Amino acid sequence: MAKIAIDPITRIEGHLRIEAQVDGGKVTDAWSSGTMWRGIELMMKNRDPREVWTLLSRV
Amino acid sequence: MNLVSKLKDNPSIADALKKQGVSRRDFIKFCTMIAATLSLPSSFVPQIVEALEKKLKPYVVWLEFQDCAGDSESMLRATKPTIAEIVLDVISLEYHETIMAGAGKYAEKALADVVKNQKGKYIAIVEGAIPLKDGGVYCTIGGRTALDIAKEVCGNAAMTLAVGSCSSWGGIASANPNPTGAVGVGKAVPGITYVNLPGCPMNVENVTATIVHYLTFGKLPALDNEHRPLFAHGKRIHDNCERRPHFDAGQFVRKWGDEGHRRGWCLYEMGCKGPEAHFNCPSIRWNAGTSWPIQAGHPCIACASTDNWDKFGPIYSRLQNVPGAGYQATADKIGLGIAAAAAAGVAAHAIGSAVKGKPEKKDEK
Repeated sequence: MAKIAIDPITRIEGHLRIEAQVDGGKVTDAWSSGTMWRGIELMMKNRDPREVWTLLSRV
Repeated sequence: MNLVSKLKDNPSIADALKKQGVSRRDFIKFCTMIAATLSLPSSFVPQIVEALEKKLKPYVVWLEFQDCAGDSESMLRATKPTIAEIVLDVISLEYHETIMAGAGKYAEKALADVVKNQKGKYIAIVEGAIPLKDGGVYCTIGGRTALDIAKEVCGNAAMTLAVGSCSSWGGIASANPNPTGAVGVGKAVPGITYVNLPGCPMNVENVTATIVHYLTFGKLPALDNEHRPLFAHGKRIHDNCERRPHFDAGQFVRKWGDEGHRRGWCLYEMGCKGPEAHFNCPSIRWNAGTSWPIQAGHPCIACASTDNWDKFGPIYSRLQNVPGAGYQATADKIGLGIAAAAAAGVAAHAIGSAVKGKPEKKDEK
């Protein structure tokens, strides 16, 4: 039994990590993680609603 | 694109361009355009041509941290004749998460190889902010924090180009309340040689020009106090704006879709930050010189200015003052002065009041 990790996953936008449990050449379990967070939702608090799109469109 | 094979085979820039079918004529055109972007007289063109003909393609690694890949998009969308080829062929791009073939440990090996084998010679391009809070856990690649990677990769580079506002000063990631303690690469890794090329996204032509300047003259272009090249950020948008005559004439858009908006009048009243923003958008523009925000009818949001999301007031609220360029006056004084000079007392009163934000009268002709 071995656990492998592919990080970074390339050719995507964003940062992704995939871990897989390999058992006899077969993947028996897998986990994915987004490895970057900015908290853009928190930046929306108390902001002029008219300008929210300018930030959110840059996610 | 075979990124790994390029490590072994690194021809001169001129050879690479020839291989791509870029004609001599287009090459000279490109060099002339770069000279213009750099605000250099045309007498520098031969020097640029010579440098690009002789120099080997510099190795480049592109790091992405807290980003949206908007700067990568901006780079890949370069459409001016031959620019797309030039951006991809003038440089030897060895590592770029969004476009490279290898993944996982193979990707990381490509990066490690450049850092080891080209130590002190490669160019590091950084896109995205670096989070410092909580030990940097908010951005990790291959199990390492962005900060850890930046320290190694930027610390061993000949120079670092921080492309886009996020890597320049924190950008979106650092907007209030900056949940992850995001900063630009210059702040995260003190002591490195770097250029900030902010903008949301960065303008690929300024990035190319900076690289060509470095190849031609062996040094960074002149920088301002925010570490931005003066050729790109030395002039105020307001002073080069195609709508400036309307500002001077007191002709303002006051409501989206009103007659002034349809006629392309000044967007100052709608919150335009052009009077406080320094960028060469009016001359370089975007999408192969097609347009730029103000031309498209939207106010400038000062995307390349430090902390633009929080320090310039709400995007759609007008600036209180119009600073700089030998005078310090509010727009009402300017509008009033010009109109009064035209000896039209009644019109002056109307324009002056309108600019002060008093109840709107009616759309003017």
